[in-house]
Amino acid sequence: MRQRYASFLLAHCLRRFNGERTLAAVYHLFSGKKSAQTLQDSKWFQLESFFGTWKDVTMAVLEGAARTLVEQRLAAPGGNRTYRLTGEGRRWLAEQETFFPRHLNGWRYHEAEPLFWQRLSLIGQTLSNLVYGRRFVPICRDERTLQWVKQYLLAKGSRQTLAELFYKELVQLLEAVSEEAAAIFTLRLTSAVRIGWTMEQIAAHLQKDALYVQFQFRNVLHYMMAEAEAGRAPMMAELMSGLAPAVLTQSAQKTYEWLQKGKTVGEIAELRRLRRSTIEDHIVEIAANVPGFSIAPFVDDEKAASIRAAARALKTRRLKEIREALDGKASYFEIRLVLAKEVGRWTN
Amino acid sequence: MDELTKMLRMWFGHDSFRPGQREVAEDVLAGRDVLAVLPTGSGKSLCYQLPAYLLQGSVLIVSPLVSLMEDQVEQLRRRGEKRVIAFHSLLDAEEKWQALASLEAFRFIYASPEMLQSAKFLAALRRVRFSLFVVDEAHCISQWGYDFRPDFLKLGEIRRSLGAPPCLALTATAPPEVQDDIIRTLGMDGARRHIYSVDRPNIALQVEHCSSTEDKAARLADYARRLEGPGIVYFSSRQWAEEMARRLEQCGAGRVAYYHAGMDGEQRLLVQQQFLYGQLDIVCCTSAFGMGVNKENVRFVLHFHMPAQLEAYVQEIGRAGRDGAPSLAVLFYADGDRAIAQAVAEAELLSPHELREWCWRLSEGSGWETAMAALEAAGLTDIQKRLLAYFLEREQRVMPGRLTAETKERLYGKMATAIEARRRWKRKKLQEMDEWVHLSSCRRQALVRAFGEELTDRRDVCCDRCGLSLDGYERAARRPEAAPVRHWREELWDMFFGGGADE
Ligand SMILES: [Zn+2]
Repeated sequence: MRQRYASFLLAHCLRRFNGERTLAAVYHLFSGKKSAQTLQDSKWFQLESFFGTWKDVTMAVLEGAARTLVEQRLAAPGGNRTYRLTGEGRRWLAEQETFFPRHLNGWRYHEAEPLFWQRLSLIGQTLSNLVYGRRFVPICRDERTLQWVKQYLLAKGSRQTLAELFYKELVQLLEAVSEEAAAIFTLRLTSAVRIGWTMEQIAAHLQKDALYVQFQFRNVLHYMMAEAEAGRAPMMAELMSGLAPAVLTQSAQKTYEWLQKGKTVGEIAELRRLRRSTIEDHIVEIAANVPGFSIAPFVDDEKAASIRAAARALKTRRLKEIREALDGKASYFEIRLVLAKEVGRWTN
Repeated sequence: MDELTKMLRMWFGHDSFRPGQREVAEDVLAGRDVLAVLPTGSGKSLCYQLPAYLLQGSVLIVSPLVSLMEDQVEQLRRRGEKRVIAFHSLLDAEEKWQALASLEAFRFIYASPEMLQSAKFLAALRRVRFSLFVVDEAHCISQWGYDFRPDFLKLGEIRRSLGAPPCLALTATAPPEVQDDIIRTLGMDGARRHIYSVDRPNIALQVEHCSSTEDKAARLADYARRLEGPGIVYFSSRQWAEEMARRLEQCGAGRVAYYHAGMDGEQRLLVQQQFLYGQLDIVCCTSAFGMGVNKENVRFVLHFHMPAQLEAYVQEIGRAGRDGAPSLAVLFYADGDRAIAQAVAEAELLSPHELREWCWRLSEGSGWETAMAALEAAGLTDIQKRLLAYFLEREQRVMPGRLTAETKERLYGKMATAIEARRRWKRKKLQEMDEWVHLSSCRRQALVRAFGEELTDRRDVCCDRCGLSLDGYERAARRPEAAPVRHWREELWDMFFGGGADE
């Protein structure tokens, strides 16, 4: 049963990667590997929403899913351990649209999510037990969360009022997702009358794939966090405090600050005692993440235009192919920069 | 009412002591070193928690299992104790380092043996006045204990470095030779021994001989359906625990879940809590389940695979019947199970071939630290690493200096001998377990004898060899159906307002 949703997820990635990446790239994407390659891949191929959303994925599961797709003629193996969706595969994938977790935002929330959920579920359990007047064993063992929730509840006044606010906000948020997703989320909660169910128990109850249940659950969590950040869920916003993710990695942020002070790549590398290539990685990261960032100082307009044209003509994001098409006149750094900036403007 | 009972009522809300608790607590209060062997479920932790409120100074508790430590801390906090802190490597160290400056403010300081390896941590401990040094699960000290942990061997030294406070060593199972090991290692020569019987009279013992694994599975399902729950079923592998959990649920044995160390922490905690709160009838699990699960009314413990030694078996069946009510332990046995148990038990031991390979790869001319580092790189399991690290450290003391071809050869010889000795010992233990399974006389008698005791009186209900009817353990009525799941809105409403009306 697990295999089915894994196949769906893999098919989605295969369509985006379009034969340009191997299963290992899919693996790194889901497990959330913090390498420049994976970070850029997830941007270029518009797979950010899945970044770090399936931490316990294994190569064996992906290989199994790939085999299933091939057996059903939904995908075909290419060279170098790659796969491409077949025409039938594309049609099939389009039919599965309803299974797509559309609020998922792994890129932004994969790190904050576990702590956010711990806080939410522990506050739910605590308020429920306070209302019922019962003693209980916390459903969370993480000392940071225990402390945080304790402080939070102490700072708030009436528990009854807080319980009502919490309830209302949860209802408002869950009404916006599917009935099934709302049911899954509710069953995961622990109260005074019921210990939360495991993913597997929910999956068995709904007769669904456990992986599917897991993604539905995560979908709801990410929706809640996004609503919190948009200012539409005040209590959730409080639970997010200190968890809101930074746009750039810390190191790239430092490089960005030096750039804004007018330093060159070489100067920053020297100042920070880092390799030039590392600073270049940072600049690519900045280009991909900071909307107003201009790449003009690093690659002249004409060259940028030819890189764009080559990428479009070749229908590829493979650096090597683009570079060869341009007779080696553009560096890998320049190509990566242009592609990073281009993300989102053209996709298959 | 005497002082101790008053304290018991005030701090713990109990009216009377369980066997052994008062005796041990009194000796601890008198400042004596104590070795206490108290059966699982007898409330061992009270033996130091109660004295802690009467002694001046802090109590240091060394515990090998993070989950166990967390349970203890949780229980103390629930009783309103704020002066409790736990140090183990899983916690965010930085946060805790701040607490190190004011350690003496804590009444209970829990620490894992790993933490005690840290010089910084030890330095902070030395500034605290300890009135008691507690070693929980003390059988881990002995190489001949069923759960040997080499880092426990340093506890004697650590205790001395803390000014040798009185020591309390606690365990549920320790045959005489393990008791001697504990006393010697912790340097508590004049210790008072409080040994309470491993026998749990309210647990009836049975072994089911089956013709095949499939037969075992079928009979297990039959028992699980018929017996009054809740119950625990032990397996030696994760796959079997998962597989049988599904089968048992399908065959109508009630609400069944599985539990093993391969699940993430949250899912494990959920299953454990569901079991505690009566949302589950049966947990299918590996030996990872049980420590810290304080459930009084477990009615049966079944073993689908036999453990590799009687100590482990006694620990596991000891989770049944803590409320004193009649309970049942059944071990299912089929040909080939002994080989499975042996494979599981010896997984921690490198083969002579692997060991030789490893020794050869050590670079000559370098120091012992390289050998230690090579351990990390060798792709060994945690337990293999722990064991080799222990042997290495021992040899380093007798053969200091740099590694040469000669010391490597000697090292290999020594380690091979030590591993071989351990293998022989494990086989002996397995042999003992196997003999117990195939026994034709009273099982209870044999069990207590293995722990150096004699059975003083005959029980009415004892074991299959003495004659045992399962009637008393069968479920009287149909198992209640799980509460139906309602629409999420109702579930959510119930969470916050369902109890309001009757409060
Ligand atoms: Zn008997």
